[in-house]
Amino acid sequence: MATVQVSEAEKVYILHGIRDDLRVDGRSCEDYRHMEIETDVVSNTDGSAKVTLGHTVVLVGIKAEIGKPRPMVPDEGYLEFFVDCSANATPEFEGRGGEELGTELSNTLYKVFNNKRSLDMKSLCISPGEHCWLLYVDVLLLQCDGNLYDAISIAVKAALFNTKIPRVHISADDEGGKEIELSDDPYDCVRINVENVPCIVTLCKVGHRHVVDATLQEKACSVASLIISVTHKGTVTCVRKVGGGSLDPESIFEMTEAGKRVGKALHAPLMKLLQQEESLGKKRQKVGFLG
Amino acid sequence: MSFNVSAKQKRKTKFKPVYTTHYSRVNPHNKTVFAAVMLKSKTFVKKTRSGGVMKIVREHYLRDDIWCGSEVCSECKQESTVLQRDACIESNLCPFPHYLVPDTNVVLHQIDVLEDPVIRNVIILQTVMQEVRHRSAPVYKRLKDLIHDKEKHFYTFTNEHHRETFIEREPGESANDRNDRAIRVAAKWYSQHLKTPEAEAEGLRVVLITNDQGNKAKAEESGLLVYRCEEYIKSLIANPELVDRLALSNNEQNEISSSKVLFPEHLPLSRIQAGIKSGTFLQGTFRASRDNYLEATVFVQGEGEDSTEIILQGLQNLNRAVHQDVVAVQLLPRDQWVAPSSVVLQDDGVPKDDETNEEEDGRRKRICVEEHMKPTGKVVGIIKRNWRPFCGMLNVSQIKESTRHLFTPADRRIPRIRIETRQASTLAGQRIMVAIDGWPKHSRYPNGHFVRSLGSAGDKETETEVLLLEHDVPHQAFSQAVLSFLPKMPWTITPEDMVKREDLRQLTVCSVDPPGCTDIDDALHCRELDNGNFEVGVHIADVSHFIRPGNALDKEAANRGTTVYLCGRRIDMVPELLSSNLCSLRSNVERMAFSCIWEMNHNAEILKTRFTKSVINSKASLTYAEAQMRIDDTSMNDDITKSLRGLNKLAKILKRRRIENGALTLSSLEVRFHIDSETHDPIDLQTKELMETNSMVEEFMLLANISVAQKIYDEFSECALLRKHPAPPPSNYDILIKAAKSKGLEIHTDSAKALADSLDVAKVDGFSYFNTLLRILATRCMMQAVYFCSGMDSDFHHYGLASSIYTHFTSPIRRYSDIIVHRLLAVAIGADSTYPDLMDKHKQSALCNNLNYRHKMAQYAQRASVAFHTQLFFKNRGILNEEGFILFVRKNAIIVLIPKFGLEGTVFFDGKGKTGVNLRFDEEVPSLTVEQHTFHMFDKVNVTISLDDSNIQHQKIRMALLEPVIPGVSVPAPEVEPQPKKPKLDR
Amino acid sequence: MAGLELLSDQGYRLDGRKATELRKVQARMGVFSQADGSAYIEQGNTKALAVVYGPHEVRGSRSRTLHDRAVINCQYSMATFSTAERKRRPHGDRKSAEMSLHLKQTFEAAVMTQLYPRSQIDIYVKILQSDGGNYSVCVNAATLAVIDAGIPMRDYVCACTVGFVDETPLADLCYAEEGGGGSSLALALLPRGGQIALLQMDAMTACKGVSKVLDEVVRQHLQDVSVLTRE
Repeated sequence: MATVQVSEAEKVYILHGIRDDLRVDGRSCEDYRHMEIETDVVSNTDGSAKVTLGHTVVLVGIKAEIGKPRPMVPDEGYLEFFVDCSANATPEFEGRGGEELGTELSNTLYKVFNNKRSLDMKSLCISPGEHCWLLYVDVLLLQCDGNLYDAISIAVKAALFNTKIPRVHISADDEGGKEIELSDDPYDCVRINVENVPCIVTLCKVGHRHVVDATLQEKACSVASLIISVTHKGTVTCVRKVGGGSLDPESIFEMTEAGKRVGKALHAPLMKLLQQEESLGKKRQKVGFLG
Repeated sequence: MSFNVSAKQKRKTKFKPVYTTHYSRVNPHNKTVFAAVMLKSKTFVKKTRSGGVMKIVREHYLRDDIWCGSEVCSECKQESTVLQRDACIESNLCPFPHYLVPDTNVVLHQIDVLEDPVIRNVIILQTVMQEVRHRSAPVYKRLKDLIHDKEKHFYTFTNEHHRETFIEREPGESANDRNDRAIRVAAKWYSQHLKTPEAEAEGLRVVLITNDQGNKAKAEESGLLVYRCEEYIKSLIANPELVDRLALSNNEQNEISSSKVLFPEHLPLSRIQAGIKSGTFLQGTFRASRDNYLEATVFVQGEGEDSTEIILQGLQNLNRAVHQDVVAVQLLPRDQWVAPSSVVLQDDGVPKDDETNEEEDGRRKRICVEEHMKPTGKVVGIIKRNWRPFCGMLNVSQIKESTRHLFTPADRRIPRIRIETRQASTLAGQRIMVAIDGWPKHSRYPNGHFVRSLGSAGDKETETEVLLLEHDVPHQAFSQAVLSFLPKMPWTITPEDMVKREDLRQLTVCSVDPPGCTDIDDALHCRELDNGNFEVGVHIADVSHFIRPGNALDKEAANRGTTVYLCGRRIDMVPELLSSNLCSLRSNVERMAFSCIWEMNHNAEILKTRFTKSVINSKASLTYAEAQMRIDDTSMNDDITKSLRGLNKLAKILKRRRIENGALTLSSLEVRFHIDSETHDPIDLQTKELMETNSMVEEFMLLANISVAQKIYDEFSECALLRKHPAPPPSNYDILIKAAKSKGLEIHTDSAKALADSLDVAKVDGFSYFNTLLRILATRCMMQAVYFCSGMDSDFHHYGLASSIYTHFTSPIRRYSDIIVHRLLAVAIGADSTYPDLMDKHKQSALCNNLNYRHKMAQYAQRASVAFHTQLFFKNRGILNEEGFILFVRKNAIIVLIPKFGLEGTVFFDGKGKTGVNLRFDEEVPSLTVEQHTFHMFDKVNVTISLDDSNIQHQKIRMALLEPVIPGVSVPAPEVEPQPKKPKLDR
Repeated sequence: MAGLELLSDQGYRLDGRKATELRKVQARMGVFSQADGSAYIEQGNTKALAVVYGPHEVRGSRSRTLHDRAVINCQYSMATFSTAERKRRPHGDRKSAEMSLHLKQTFEAAVMTQLYPRSQIDIYVKILQSDGGNYSVCVNAATLAVIDAGIPMRDYVCACTVGFVDETPLADLCYAEEGGGGSSLALALLPRGGQIALLQMDAMTACKGVSKVLDEVVRQHLQDVSVLTRE
């Protein structure tokens, strides 16, 4: 996996910094690194977003396809997640090397996003029991510099915000046979309400304190981390402990509180940015990987 | 805590520059297209295995280097111009020079008008081109021909890629509205662009032609000069008759018809598709009955082989479907099923009979015999119209001043069409063409418009034109696009051509053809080799050298499929320069050929076969008679004659062997007209006679075809184009067996060989013509030979030739199949390269279907031409008295063959003025007893022949019985009155 | 309806280009900081990212080590959302394996591998959006990435596809043109020496006199790209 070797002296330096709320790159413990977001970067997807967090680069593409609703919930659509840890990020991912991490990441994404509290799954239904939209959310990891969960979750939210599903009409004939007709107007699209879509905040326990948005070096000093998905209202929808070490209940409580706080505050600038970008419409110059 | 979230923006680059190259003129613009998907066509759904919706993104570049094509423009850097400076069409509305910009619907519906030579200097926008291409392939082709025609000055403006005329679809705008706007924007651009001092001086303007009210209003708003098509055409000073060619637009149709709704509404396509999918509706081709205008069948192709026929009866149920339309039908409940009626009903209602349909329904006899009941249904919607312009004649309205008239098509299966014309008095008695524009639900007849006049009915040229059109034989002059692919004259064989060719110029090659043949596609040679064997070569014109795959010339030839030979006229498949000159293997000129060369021993056994592209120089072009003379004249001993004798000798052996193998020699009477050189009227008829040399040429052609078929099949087992002749089902032979039995003979039909043998021995003493008659009958039992692609079929057998494999190789000038075979063979021997369509068995199969169709239609056209000339022949001869033989016996008639003229006719024993004749028909014999006399097949009878021209559209030869005399049935002998013409006949 | 009209009578292609015009090419080197070399290139709507790691010591099995030169290791993959119809997996299918092999061969011919014995150079290419000419775009991206990594090459490798519509060569095919029947030919060249590093022709067509035209088309493209990379 994308890890770095950190020497003992370095570790001490990082630990001491964090203890004094001054991290190696000058941030305080609850600061994020510089983040850049751009939506609609891959034109043949229905929605896409590129997120750069520090040196971590994530590209998310969403494709809407018509599928059959799951038998348990016939009036809902659903999401499919796939995380491609590409060899571009690190040679270790070559071949099947990235699969393990990819599966771990996508499993978390299912838990966080694929439920009715995050998204209005009913709005993805076309005709109950027969047709629904299924959104393929494909995450492409292009460069790893720590804090993958947060970057991916923000990119997914931005891409969902950006997603335009073509409007379909159901025409029924006398015999009850149903026919799906696509709207002739390319502007006639359905948008997804992303208001309740959570973002993931990863907190790393380093020494006695915890930090958000850990770099690879900081991660190497951490015993374990906690990922918390938080909505814009500050509701925690999911908590998971990841990493090899152990955490005491006390610090889990503290970290959850911090995660809630940070997560809640994260949504506002994110949404503002997305709406701003959206309002530019066609005038916005697309940059993608060229800038 | 802090967030430093920012939108990705282009940074002022410090060290990582972005490189961009692109053409300065080109400005990219991304265009997003949603491809709709659901079940529109099956193939598409298959492609998207998992979902259904696919977002397709295509680039769309805008350019600055698209020029306006006008002579007056000095701004555009164009090399040549299309639109003239002096673009005058004399018009009341536009007295100044102007360019026309028609919108899509004008092009689609008024293509007949646009084709008129008067209409010139027209700008066809790319938007219009694309829409036309999507909506109507035939109109698109005609439009393309117009654009290629230099005289017409039609210019295509690529507005969709022009930086200033491209527009993007706006939210809420429909695709059609966008296109209308694109057309307006382009027209506007033109009118501004041409506002140069020079153009101003000429007074040049751009005129938008549209029939859409909304579009017109918006165009006027933006300051464009815009007219409706009718308005504009009516304003033309020089050509008032052009108005008649206008297709009726919707609002005018409303005026014509009464408000009463006569027909049920057609369902929209989406409902139809859904219905077909769910099985409530069936899709099929509508086939109107020839005899009963209130009845039709719909042929529904089911899964695999099985297919059903559904009967439709009554105007309501036919619901405005026209012959050959693809329709959706709904089955009626079983208790409403009917049997096909055997009544002949012709629509002879007067023009004002919009109300009479119920009455007619009542008049229709319902013969409801349980077991004859068939699935019966009604048309609920039209999937695809298959309207073409129809030939026919005008029934002039009784009301003198009326401009609305009914038109009766020559084809009885097509309903009468209401048209509007001011030239009714001129058009009466002429053959005219009319196109259907639409069939509103409150109109008894479809509405149409006059397309053009073909000339006076009964005229030779007119009738030929009619029969070509009615048999769908493409016969227009070749378009400029097609001609542009011809080699430039003067043409010679270049050294490059020689590289891959064998030089056979020194060989004594000659051709043998019918007299007057200018498209010589085969030549032969034969010489004795040093080892005592013969070398025989068949040299076929190398047409595929000139016709390269995929170009306009090739497409045209593929569409035509075959050259059509009519009496006194030939409709070429390829332009004359090729057919009669460059490809024709004339004597004493160097020509390219595709040669098939065998080494044979004296028993005509093939020892070696090879194929090569070659260059030959034919030493003589002979007729069959000349060749025969040379062979027979023992005093001639030149190389050509020796070669012919060798060929003849081998051919005889080949033929004998072929017949031993069970090949059939069948007979059909072919008639030749002696045409008067001045009037071009037929002055004599004669059945063709066959000489030994005919069969000599034929033998080698067969041999070449078989050799080539084997070769291409060996090389391309999946995509060889072959020809097969299926064995007829045994029931076909019933009539032949019965007929022979009546003369005490037995015909074996278990195999071709058995049939051939029993035909050979079937002779009746004192009745020498009997054998010929029997062979004529046998011919009628046969199936049609067809082209097919080897990868799509498993049965290759050619029944008539008793060959296990066969193809056509020897007449590439007049058959497209041979061109394909040439290409395949050329690839097989490495003389040419292949192309994707040649190796695609589905495409080739589709091609075969077209070729089979064209061949069939050519055959029908040929027969119709012979029939027409026969009529012309008898027209001048009054009533004749001839001897004939009964060929068939029917329930109420006998069919008589007159060997002298090769003419077949029907003698009816019922019908007008012959009621109460006592008829007894015995199907088993078969025989027909009329009063006291019993007719059998092959009986000799005397009949009178005359021309019945009471119906000018359907003239026919009428025969009446003279001998045996049956009181009340037979007619008295005609007075031998046309004496002066008789000697000519006896000559 | 018949298929698409690839080349109109007026000489314009589906997207408005003329027969020999390339799509708009945009490129950037040094997109990522962690890799030793990286580049991003767009040719119309075909977009590719290439990164280079190395030269570094041979990973995995020692037996792959070459004693006189470096091992070139390539992986071609496509983002699952890159095609119109979603791909099930980014790499590992036969087509990708073939592409990887072609890339490897192409760059073995171009990179001066003898300078780095017993080491390995990784070239990873990812198609982000696919609209025809994937292979050539990948080669061009990889070339830029190798340059960015500072690894010496004999020459730039430049690639382009050519297709034919009735004997008219079309340069730099887009997806619709590739699917429009006919043949397509992908060619990678070392422009200075005019050497061909890869030649791949799909479908059957005549090569009669075609190679000459083709050469010109590709040369022109080469010039473009070489100019671009030298800037």
